[in-house]
Amino acid sequence: MTEDARYTDLPTETPMGAPLDWAWLRGASSEWGVQPKPSARGLTMMDIAVGSYGEVPDVAPRRTMSPRGADIEDPTPDMGYILNKKSDVWADNVRELYEEAVARQWSATRDIPWGDLEELPDDVEHAICQLCTTLAEVEMIAADLPAKWMWRMNHDFLEAKMFLCTQIMDEARHSEVFRKRALANGGGLLKSRDVGTSLLRTILEAKTYTQASALLHLLGEGFILDIFRQGELIAPSDVEKRIFRMAMQDEARHVAYGTLHIRYQIEHDPDVAEEIHAALDHGENVLVEFGSQPDLTTAIAVLLAGGVDDIETKGFPEQQALTAKLLTSYLARCERAGLNRVERTQLPLDLLGIDPASITAAN
Amino acid sequence: MTAIDSVSFFDTLASQMNTQPTVYEVLGDVDMDFAIVMQRAEADAFRVMLTFRGITCEGVTEIDAGDEARADFRLVGALDAWTAMFDDIVEHGHATGRQTLNSLTLLGDAIAARGADPLGVDKFFRFNQTVQAFVDGAGARAEVVDVEPAAT
Repeated sequence: MTEDARYTDLPTETPMGAPLDWAWLRGASSEWGVQPKPSARGLTMMDIAVGSYGEVPDVAPRRTMSPRGADIEDPTPDMGYILNKKSDVWADNVRELYEEAVARQWSATRDIPWGDLEELPDDVEHAICQLCTTLAEVEMIAADLPAKWMWRMNHDFLEAKMFLCTQIMDEARHSEVFRKRALANGGGLLKSRDVGTSLLRTILEAKTYTQASALLHLLGEGFILDIFRQGELIAPSDVEKRIFRMAMQDEARHVAYGTLHIRYQIEHDPDVAEEIHAALDHGENVLVEFGSQPDLTTAIAVLLAGGVDDIETKGFPEQQALTAKLLTSYLARCERAGLNRVERTQLPLDLLGIDPASITAAN
Repeated sequence: MTAIDSVSFFDTLASQMNTQPTVYEVLGDVDMDFAIVMQRAEADAFRVMLTFRGITCEGVTEIDAGDEARADFRLVGALDAWTAMFDDIVEHGHATGRQTLNSLTLLGDAIAARGADPLGVDKFFRFNQTVQAFVDGAGARAEVVDVEPAAT
């Protein structure tokens, strides 16, 4: 470190007598003179990932909250992080996803045209309220789970933690919007049974972040993403369409992080694949129980059919077809993440008419 | 009158988007290239690549067969299906019922969302509200849009 000659005549003590070294002004050892170029949208996390500040270590050298790239003076307090490898939490697209999340936040209070809600037939209002009851229940798990692990992640992987903060905000908003819809149009919250909580508990109690991310981002949120897609299709009005379309956008970001995080981890630590497979073996079974629970399936089927009258001729058949698409999407994402689940999954592919070859082929 | 299977039709939609920053600012920035493929009964399909950055459509380019694979995702359907969708948009001012892009691609019979990389296809979901608002622009400019397909 070279001391700057301009700052030799500075006070050596504060007025209260505390010693001063002016180290930050006289030449810290961190990189100085950085000149990132703002992109068209402003100054992004990608823009400032320049020089040493863009370097994310494969293994964090310390367990401190000091900002990555700062002139860190040892000894530093040990924050006790347990996720200290980049591959534990990173995804190559995490900075872009963070910026996208910040740019595309929406308000469940202001950005949904609640005033346009009109009275619906009783069976349809019941169905949308049951769907929203289930979704209001499950969405918060995707906030609870990142929160459980975030404080254990090394601060050198700041961008991953920042992205997970946006996920927490997204999921709070989802819980909010589905609760609001259930209560907004003369209906109310309906059934909540044990199957839903069992799935949530499986995800929350995962023993490692690796398992947790696979269960949440790849399996659970992939499933919910497709439920949101179905929600947009079956929405009884433009109000619900907007709700599901906005929520779908958020969910797709979470899935994108999870898919590339799992892929990054497997590329850097191939042995972890078996741990992920084991988690998904169990998770898929629990998800099938959840996804086939009568409250959710009948609510969706009623909405697909436009009411109870055509549920057997229209609702259930369409739902079966959509379930096949949902599972195909999930398995294709696993392929993209570096996990061949087709060979291993116990999901009823034959029963649903899913051709395994269609999963590995280009879409 | 502008046929939907034409660059000028999509130029119109792009202009519509680029002159409505307040609509698209609320939706947020996007970063995607997607292709639309309209399969004609008696002729080659019409293919167009649409480039979006920030809150603008920066490019509308007719492309050759196979070039659609370069896009993050492509939306592929028969011209009749696209016509029905834009008819609905022009009639109601925006897509309704099962004529939204998400609905059409979810059912998959009329228009399909495809891509070599599932993460590219996921951009269709991540930016879905923007994509829908873009095509809904046909409803706002109904006086200059004719959804009759071009003569083949």
